[in-house]
Amino acid sequence: MSQAREILRVEGLGKRFPGVVALDGVDFDLRAGEVHVLLGENGAGKSTLIKMLSGAYQPDSGRILVDGEPVDIRNASDAQRLGIATIYQEFNLVPQLTVGENLALGRPPRRFGFVDTRRMHEQARGMLDLVGVGVDPRTRVADLGIAQMQMVEIAKALALNARVLIMDEPTAVLTTTEVRRLFDLVGQLRERGVAVVFITHHLEEIAQIGDRVTVLRDGRSVAQVPAGTPEEELIRLMVGRPIDQQYPREASAAGEPLLQVRDLSRAGAFSGVSFEVRAGEVVGLAGLVGAGRTEVARAVFGADTPDSGEVLVRGRRLPGGDVRAAMEAGLGLVPEDRKGQGLVLGADIAENLGLVTLRGASHGGFVDRAGQRQAAARVAAQLGVRMSHLGQEVRTLSGGNQQKIVIGKWLLADANVLILDEPTRGIDVGAKVEIYQLINSLTASGHAVLMISSDLPEILGMSDRILVMARGRLVGELEAADANQDSVMALAVTEVEDARVH
Amino acid sequence: MLVSTNVLAVRPTARTLLAENGSVAALVVLVVALSLLSGDFLTVTNLLNVGVQAAVTAILAFGSTFVIITSGIDLSVGAVAALSAIVLAWTAADSGLPWPLATLVALAVGIGCGLVNAALIAYGKLPPFIATLAMLGVARGLALVVSQGSPIEMPEAVSHLGDTVGGYLPVPVLVMALMGVIAAVVLNRTYAGRAMYAIGGNEEAARLSGIAVSRQKLVTYALSGAFAAVAGIVLASRLASAQPQAASGYELDAIAAVVIGGASLSGGKGRAFGTLVGALILAVLRNGLNLLSVSAFWQQVVIGVVIALAVLLDTLRRRSGR
Amino acid sequence: MRIHALVAAGAALTLGLTACGSSGTSSAGSTGAASGGDVKIGMSISTLNNPYFVQLRAGAEAEAKKLGVTLTVTDAQNDASQQVNQVQNFTSQSMKAIIINPVDSDAAAPAVKIAERSNVPVIAVDRGVNGGKVAQTVASDNVAGGKLAAERLAKEIGEKGEVVVLQGVPGTSASRDRGQGFAEGIKAFPGIKVVAQQPADFDRAKGLDVMTNLLQSHSGVTGVFAENDEMALGAIKALGAKAGKDVKVVGFDGTPDGLKAIEAGTLAASIAQQPALLGQQSVQNAVKAVKSEQLEATANVPVKVATKDNLSEFTGA
Repeated sequence: MSQAREILRVEGLGKRFPGVVALDGVDFDLRAGEVHVLLGENGAGKSTLIKMLSGAYQPDSGRILVDGEPVDIRNASDAQRLGIATIYQEFNLVPQLTVGENLALGRPPRRFGFVDTRRMHEQARGMLDLVGVGVDPRTRVADLGIAQMQMVEIAKALALNARVLIMDEPTAVLTTTEVRRLFDLVGQLRERGVAVVFITHHLEEIAQIGDRVTVLRDGRSVAQVPAGTPEEELIRLMVGRPIDQQYPREASAAGEPLLQVRDLSRAGAFSGVSFEVRAGEVVGLAGLVGAGRTEVARAVFGADTPDSGEVLVRGRRLPGGDVRAAMEAGLGLVPEDRKGQGLVLGADIAENLGLVTLRGASHGGFVDRAGQRQAAARVAAQLGVRMSHLGQEVRTLSGGNQQKIVIGKWLLADANVLILDEPTRGIDVGAKVEIYQLINSLTASGHAVLMISSDLPEILGMSDRILVMARGRLVGELEAADANQDSVMALAVTEVEDARVH
Repeated sequence: MLVSTNVLAVRPTARTLLAENGSVAALVVLVVALSLLSGDFLTVTNLLNVGVQAAVTAILAFGSTFVIITSGIDLSVGAVAALSAIVLAWTAADSGLPWPLATLVALAVGIGCGLVNAALIAYGKLPPFIATLAMLGVARGLALVVSQGSPIEMPEAVSHLGDTVGGYLPVPVLVMALMGVIAAVVLNRTYAGRAMYAIGGNEEAARLSGIAVSRQKLVTYALSGAFAAVAGIVLASRLASAQPQAASGYELDAIAAVVIGGASLSGGKGRAFGTLVGALILAVLRNGLNLLSVSAFWQQVVIGVVIALAVLLDTLRRRSGR
Repeated sequence: MRIHALVAAGAALTLGLTACGSSGTSSAGSTGAASGGDVKIGMSISTLNNPYFVQLRAGAEAEAKKLGVTLTVTDAQNDASQQVNQVQNFTSQSMKAIIINPVDSDAAAPAVKIAERSNVPVIAVDRGVNGGKVAQTVASDNVAGGKLAAERLAKEIGEKGEVVVLQGVPGTSASRDRGQGFAEGIKAFPGIKVVAQQPADFDRAKGLDVMTNLLQSHSGVTGVFAENDEMALGAIKALGAKAGKDVKVVGFDGTPDGLKAIEAGTLAASIAQQPALLGQQSVQNAVKAVKSEQLEATANVPVKVATKDNLSEFTGA
């Protein structure tokens, strides 16, 4: 590969927040027509770095150079002027407006003072063709799939003549097919000389898409290596130590059935679902997105009311749609949407950890807050939550640490059966392994875990038994020892081939 | 990312009260400015007057703090205050109920209004704005119906709430302090209070953590109603007369006090102490404008500007602290 | 299902209660025997959320009963658009005359025009109507009242000393006229100085707070003029034992509570409008208008200074 022109350079960048040093000397450079992967655990400083490149934060020390000139990126329009566009995991689209309106936001074509809708949609079509997505510009953004929204975001960035495209975990929410299409597009952009900063937790993607890799650890840039570097080496650079095993499942002897689900149905979501989870067991629930796994978990936990069927915990039947009863019977749910359903983001760590036990810690209406705080401190230490203090807002924690808090509140409540819905989505390798070890220790002490995951290696590596759902039905059960990616996928796509037309 | 050794520390100890709460800074600025502008401001008597004048707004605002923390809003507090006071005076005067009973009936009326609000919101799924707006009309109307549009004299025993202890310490200030302490204890120490923060911060997460959201909303709005009743009784005691049109528009003062005090209308944030400071800012301001003889038309402008500045100051401080 | 049933039941209950209570609309009986025959008159009052207007209604109803006409009274709840609707309804109910007590002098014009189109005579009471043709405006003279208040207060404090004024809701005509009259009247007494004028919005609690504050900056005050009795009563609370002795307070309106304070000696005087008389006159002249009698453009109902000496004239009415 020839040495292309350098567009962007970052030297000794530092940033502190009260109580936390987020960045402590980061060097990074980007050339035209390359895909440069940023790798690091959550909390390593990747988000802070890209927020400084996009003008959301200002650095405390160090400098940013564009085309060899030092620049001061104070806000989003500064970044835009320099040709830097960022595509966050949370898209910057207005769901109520059409694709065309979103693409023309802020500068719609006008005619006699009115918005020229026809021209606006024509222009939008041109932009969409550029990224090769066949969406009608008149479609409302809310009606698009996630992959399509992402494409619209990329089209928007290109329309603003972006030379540097920063993509924050673009593949985290995509299916395999969608990832392939995204990579095709990124490849074309590279041909055209666009420089891409690519953040991902999926190590296998790095060799496929990347040219160079910069590894961040604890706010510092620790290495710059070619994308072909072996995964083990990348992991070692990222966590500072080798991780012997990505999936360290230690099976324990299965005991009595703790959770029994019989013929559970909810119209439009799932029907006739029956299974059981035994003490000491990890049961994986696999399937494609939309197969009804999350809906089953919510119904079991009482977050939604099922139409028929029953849920038994230790042989006792739970009333439908009653979260409190499920909790008291010993169920716990770590929901898929961590921020939207698992955490009170504006509250502190202690408060979030104590949410489930709040009631139990109340006597005569008064909460034993000192006791709650001590318990929280104990669990936070046990889980190795990386924080400045217990009073830190959960909003400011990294994804992995946030997930530990959600799991921690159920540990405090000593839930017997934990339902984990996508427990490691968006979490880095180091934190993932910590969560797996936590699952091991839970099952070793006689708890039971029902784990929903779209990450097949994770399901295969961590489950004792695997249940597969397709189109709202349980279509198969596999022993972990007999299962592989092909056998699970074969079940997951049962009678759903026709539904996968994109 | 540094792991602190003292994980039990609630918050960094170095922070001063001033830096933590922008509204306290705003109050201090206001007090210093008024002391310089008017020689009559910084006297014990005048400061006690300010306390008395802040009392009714502060008590209403403590109640609203609960509601705003759950990311709700209660527009009915002024009307409920008037209705409760009218009911007290009416049952004592017309039905000859002994005043302690009449007071309990008045409190029950306040709580009842709050429960109706909460039922409409939690079970009827009405937006809090609409449910409490309806209650504003109903309570104000019932106050007029019961009183037939005329003021009713308060029982003398209750009117002592408007007096002073030992000719010096005003009772409304004591009631305000008591209600403030109750609000702070409820918010900080009770299950109901902690549940309010959780519900306001993320209702779905609270529900999935086993908090009975609907039931806690009943508690929240009932508390707001009870505080409104107390405010109404204090107001009527000061005048020795319950008036059907009393406390009109006070709901907006209460909301302003809560927000000036650092609460967020989107929920999950707010403290009783901040609310007290908010109410004091409004009272100090009105007092100062009187002392300085500012013209009627300009007073409204100044009050509006100061409310905006106080909240702005708080927002700026918090942003620079991030 | 269950919720729907509850809602329906609640709505039915509310309607039932309203019908029984009938507080919004009331009719004074027509005995049919008197000269008026079957004359129907509609009256829209700005608000009944104020004892003053409640008395105005009482005077009107008494007069209607005396003249044997049917009087329908509605409460516009200080909402100008609601008042327009009420007047519109009156015309469709074929009222022979309409008495309007405007929520707002300007906003009442459309209502009057509606009546004009149906050839129904309109009497404005207490406040005038700007930009509409009314048969007559029955009002008490607020400017004259303000002057009377100034004279009375001057007399009470020996024509010298410091006084403060408690103003009503800024920008309202009542506050404007009373304040203007007082300012004109007080000029005649060079020994008296107005040291502060502050708004207390016609509200008793605010009168109390503002007076308390003013006493801090102007402790030597000997006289207070409040633009209505409610504020005067608040000021008296603030003055405590000084009220009626060291500091003389003059109010406006002559409300029942105000008259009680005069009797107790805490309120020196109140410029009594005579709301019952306003109501009475408006009905009387409305009946004349129905009979196409010629009416003066304005009927000035006198304001009177109510003091301890002539109190019986007011409490009797």
